Amino acid sequence: MFEEIKEHGMEKLAESGLLERLEKLKKAGMEKISETSLPHDLQTVRANLLGRKGEVTEVLKSVGQAAPELRKVLGQAANEVKDILSQAIEQRNEELINSTSSFEGAADITLPGTDFTAGGLHPITQMCYDLNDAFRSLGFEVFSEPEITSELYAFDNLNFAPEHPARESMDTYWLKGHDEERGAKRLCLRPHLTGASVRYLQKHGAPARFVYPGRVFRNETTDARHERAFFQYEALIVDKDFSFASGKVLVKTILDKIFGTDVEVRMRVGFFPFVEPGFEIDMRCLVCGGEGCKVCKHVGWIEVMPGGTPHPNVLRAAGLDPAVWSGFYINIGLDRLVMMRYGVDDVRLFHSADLRFLNQFK
Amino acid sequence: MKLSLNWIKKYVDLPEDLTMEKLAYDLTMCTVEVEEVTDLSESLGGLAVGKIITVEPHPDADKLRICTVDVGDMVPSTIVCGGINLAPGQLTIVGKPGAMVRWHGAGDPVEIKPAKLRGVMSYGMICSSGEIGLEELFPVSREAEIMDITEFAAEPGSSAADALGLNDIILEIDNKSLTNRPDLWGHYGMARELAAIYGCRLMPLEKASIPEYSGDLSVVIEAPDRCPRYAAVTFKNIKNIPSPFELKSMIWRVGMRPINLPVDITNYVMLATGQPTHGFDKNHIKGSIHIRTAREDEKLELLDGEILDLTVSDLVIADEKSPVALAGIMGGKLDSILDDTEEIILEVANFTAMGVRRTAQRFDIRTEASSRFEKSIEPQRVDGALAVAVNMFKEYFPESEITGFADEYPLPLKNSEVEVPLSFLSRRLGKDLTAEEVIMILDNLGFKTAVKEGILHVTAPSWRSTGDISLPDDILEEVARLMGYENFDLIPPAVILEKPINQRTVEMERSIREYLAFRCGMQEIFTYPWTEDEYIEASCLDTKEMLSLSTPPSPEESRLRSSLIPGMMKGVFTNLRYFDSFRIFELTQVFADKNYHSINDPAEKLPEMARHLAGAFVGTDPRLLFRQAKGVLEHMHRAVHMEALGFEQMTKPQWADDKLWLNVMYDEKPIGSIGLISLKSARRAGIKRSMTVLFEIDVEILHPLASRQNRYTRLPEYPCVDFDLSVVFDEKVTWAEIYETASKVELVREVRFIDEYRGQQAGEGKKSVSFRIRICSDEGTLNSEKIEMITRQMIKKMSKKLGGDVRGA
Ligand SMILES: [Zn+2]
Repeated sequence: MFEEIKEHGMEKLAESGLLERLEKLKKAGMEKISETSLPHDLQTVRANLLGRKGEVTEVLKSVGQAAPELRKVLGQAANEVKDILSQAIEQRNEELINSTSSFEGAADITLPGTDFTAGGLHPITQMCYDLNDAFRSLGFEVFSEPEITSELYAFDNLNFAPEHPARESMDTYWLKGHDEERGAKRLCLRPHLTGASVRYLQKHGAPARFVYPGRVFRNETTDARHERAFFQYEALIVDKDFSFASGKVLVKTILDKIFGTDVEVRMRVGFFPFVEPGFEIDMRCLVCGGEGCKVCKHVGWIEVMPGGTPHPNVLRAAGLDPAVWSGFYINIGLDRLVMMRYGVDDVRLFHSADLRFLNQFK
Repeated sequence: MKLSLNWIKKYVDLPEDLTMEKLAYDLTMCTVEVEEVTDLSESLGGLAVGKIITVEPHPDADKLRICTVDVGDMVPSTIVCGGINLAPGQLTIVGKPGAMVRWHGAGDPVEIKPAKLRGVMSYGMICSSGEIGLEELFPVSREAEIMDITEFAAEPGSSAADALGLNDIILEIDNKSLTNRPDLWGHYGMARELAAIYGCRLMPLEKASIPEYSGDLSVVIEAPDRCPRYAAVTFKNIKNIPSPFELKSMIWRVGMRPINLPVDITNYVMLATGQPTHGFDKNHIKGSIHIRTAREDEKLELLDGEILDLTVSDLVIADEKSPVALAGIMGGKLDSILDDTEEIILEVANFTAMGVRRTAQRFDIRTEASSRFEKSIEPQRVDGALAVAVNMFKEYFPESEITGFADEYPLPLKNSEVEVPLSFLSRRLGKDLTAEEVIMILDNLGFKTAVKEGILHVTAPSWRSTGDISLPDDILEEVARLMGYENFDLIPPAVILEKPINQRTVEMERSIREYLAFRCGMQEIFTYPWTEDEYIEASCLDTKEMLSLSTPPSPEESRLRSSLIPGMMKGVFTNLRYFDSFRIFELTQVFADKNYHSINDPAEKLPEMARHLAGAFVGTDPRLLFRQAKGVLEHMHRAVHMEALGFEQMTKPQWADDKLWLNVMYDEKPIGSIGLISLKSARRAGIKRSMTVLFEIDVEILHPLASRQNRYTRLPEYPCVDFDLSVVFDEKVTWAEIYETASKVELVREVRFIDEYRGQQAGEGKKSVSFRIRICSDEGTLNSEKIEMITRQMIKKMSKKLGGDVRGA
């Protein structure tokens, strides 16, 4: 363009010095832009050149005072410089954004993540809910009865002989003031969950499939392996001519869920008053795979739960005809399972409320 | 219970290829749990027979001798020994160098090494019976006696176990698994079971010829309901001498201590047949034997020296004058077999389980006899036991003579009979069975079966007729266990899809727990239902309506919780040792001695029980903790899908601080409280240096909503504007008033508390409250004039209505 001006021989133009100033501004501006290394500084550069009071803007403003015949040419020249600088800034800005961090200074990425205020469920609740989910997916209801029950529901209905030792105060926590009573009038903290099965069946009838987890109480001397209050998980199916072999499904549901793997189980003879036939259920030792080790006392199997077909007397107590109905119970000690699962070595920790213990299960 | 395999093999021909592992496995799967299998010879591993050739004094030790001993090697060994009964020609037990020996018959084997004893090399060790766990078989009369086995005439160098006939396998059976199988409490019973499992031959139990005459022995059963049968035999020319080794070793290996020949015979009979027996000194029994209940004020000194005050519900064996034994439990000290006994009365009787159990429990005595009778033994077993006993007395006391016999059997036991349709077995077992299959299994077990029109008429043998077999289900179990539970296929139950399971109450409890744990950062804890008195006091609970335990875990923990507050306080106390700020909660039942009601059987009256939820917030700033706890309850309904909780001050919980507490409202009724623990309660609970805010609500009252109740409001069409205000108020002005006043200002959509400040800048009795106001218009974008106008209006209202002062405004 300057050539064009010269061609026109407009000497006045040169005299005004504006062209020269523009040329200088362009040169200096381009240098500054390329020297700038922070996006923020680039903004300042832009303001100094092209801002409201920027140098190029000043030139543009002064074009108005130039001689009328020069205005057009000068205006064109100034706008040209402005565009060039503007583009350069844009380009430089792009370069800087691509290569610069959004903040200054160094950073240590090995620092730990920040903590969040986390709470948690008790490990037994966690296990219990996992099992509830598994059983509900098989169409089981979740049921519970109150923790105080009577001899009728804790023992009589369940075919415990009148003199069964479990009825003694050495075993069961009887409530004060009921010592002389018997049956429905003699109250206790429930010694097991099985009584709840009769309560459920009395209300809902058969067929039925339900689980009833909860806490039970035994008068015992406590140590690392024995507790007075502990959790059980019991499940019952009642159906027409339910074969005990189908009971294995309950067992496998529990163990597969807990151990996250297909657990091999075996059922062998066991005796419990409320079942006939009764079973002790063992699982293949997961530590040694059945080869025999310390954990399984070198037999390759670990006793995990009792189970069996409800005794006809229990079904009768529940108002069901044993000639028609049968089923399968399983009962598992949740405390023991959680201990096995995580290697907890003292059962008393579960009721300790000790956060050093509980925090480990978040 | 311990069983000797050699003993069992006397009665049954087990399959020749049967390994110990297989036997233990099969017995465990079909019948009873085998807890342990021990090779008896292993406890004597490494020990050999030695023959002492010479015994010389030790030059440097008075108490030591230098022996040369033939231990079966080319050259006799030199062994230094301190035994006082060492003699040339004597056979003894020796541990040779290199042998691995289990000291006292237990523990890990230890290697024997040559050693210098007072300057003389000793190559091995001569053992005393105590050192190798045989002191009961070879009792020592003086200290430092070595074992003398000269009478065994064994080859020097042969193994000790062989020489002593102790090559046997001992099975240890879990007693619990034997509870309902009284027929297995003896070697013969177990042999019979194994014969059934393997279908092999069982020898009949021996018979004996007993003269029919009664002599001068007469037995009177006065309580036939507790003693269905009582047999007794009198033997004369009996001596109280030690038993021969073979008899001693049989009873010793299954865990009984040999005593003397007559007593050992009675124990052998019990171990063989499961039938307890007892011997009396005939000279001490005056007149007839009476089986009767004890009289008031009668006493009995037992064999172990304990003197019992009998009651009318205890059954005793008595002569004309006084009780001589506690029936089925233990004999009397004065009249049982004594050192000078020459004529004995051997009792082989049957007592009913319940009576024996009650008396044993009352006196807290458990004996081998009582634990067997408690399982309910059939009276027919008396016959076999009597035969074994009579034959043994004849064998071991060839001079003896039977001088009297009586057998009173007023209450014969009928064999159990059960009718089972074959189809029932097939259906319940999920397997088609033939009558022949079933009959064969039952026949092996001693059951007699007749089939008529598809129905099996099963008669149980006497030894299975004391209660264990009475139902078709019992027969099912017998068939199934002998077929092998492993041989039944897993048949998955069919699932019938009726309707989805919808248990809102169950789900609500879970969502409360999950809300507290996962949204509110609280940790779930469990505490015991029995409450320590200390924390009941700290919680200022009224003990009048609390239930108590008859035999509590400890005297200070006799009461059952009526509130979760004591447990929370304990939880706080426990954790303050390790943490200074934390949040915990518990959701479980509490109990009260009132509102008795029935839930199933109308005769059953249960006390009030309700699930409560309690939480604790521990930290330093009481106001903040209170707001945090309140916030948890305020927002609970959103996660849990129930109506919102409200707050009001109605009745202060006793444990709460005067300044910070509220009652929690639901459906316009108080259902719990929230508050800072008062200084007094905190002190009593041992909670120091920290502030604790607790809440407790009754969860039983909350109803779950039918479905999620989140609400949607249309998003504002025009942008809203937020601005913050800090206003200084008098302490008396509450946030509720500020909120209400601010909310009434034109276009105000939201008023949110930010912060409050007390201190110098606010001035005495004043506080500065900061809050954020959001204004929105539905008509258009708010311009700055409008915003300024509303701000001015807000400031004016704060000042006019509540005396608020906006500094710098
Ligand atoms: Zn193992």
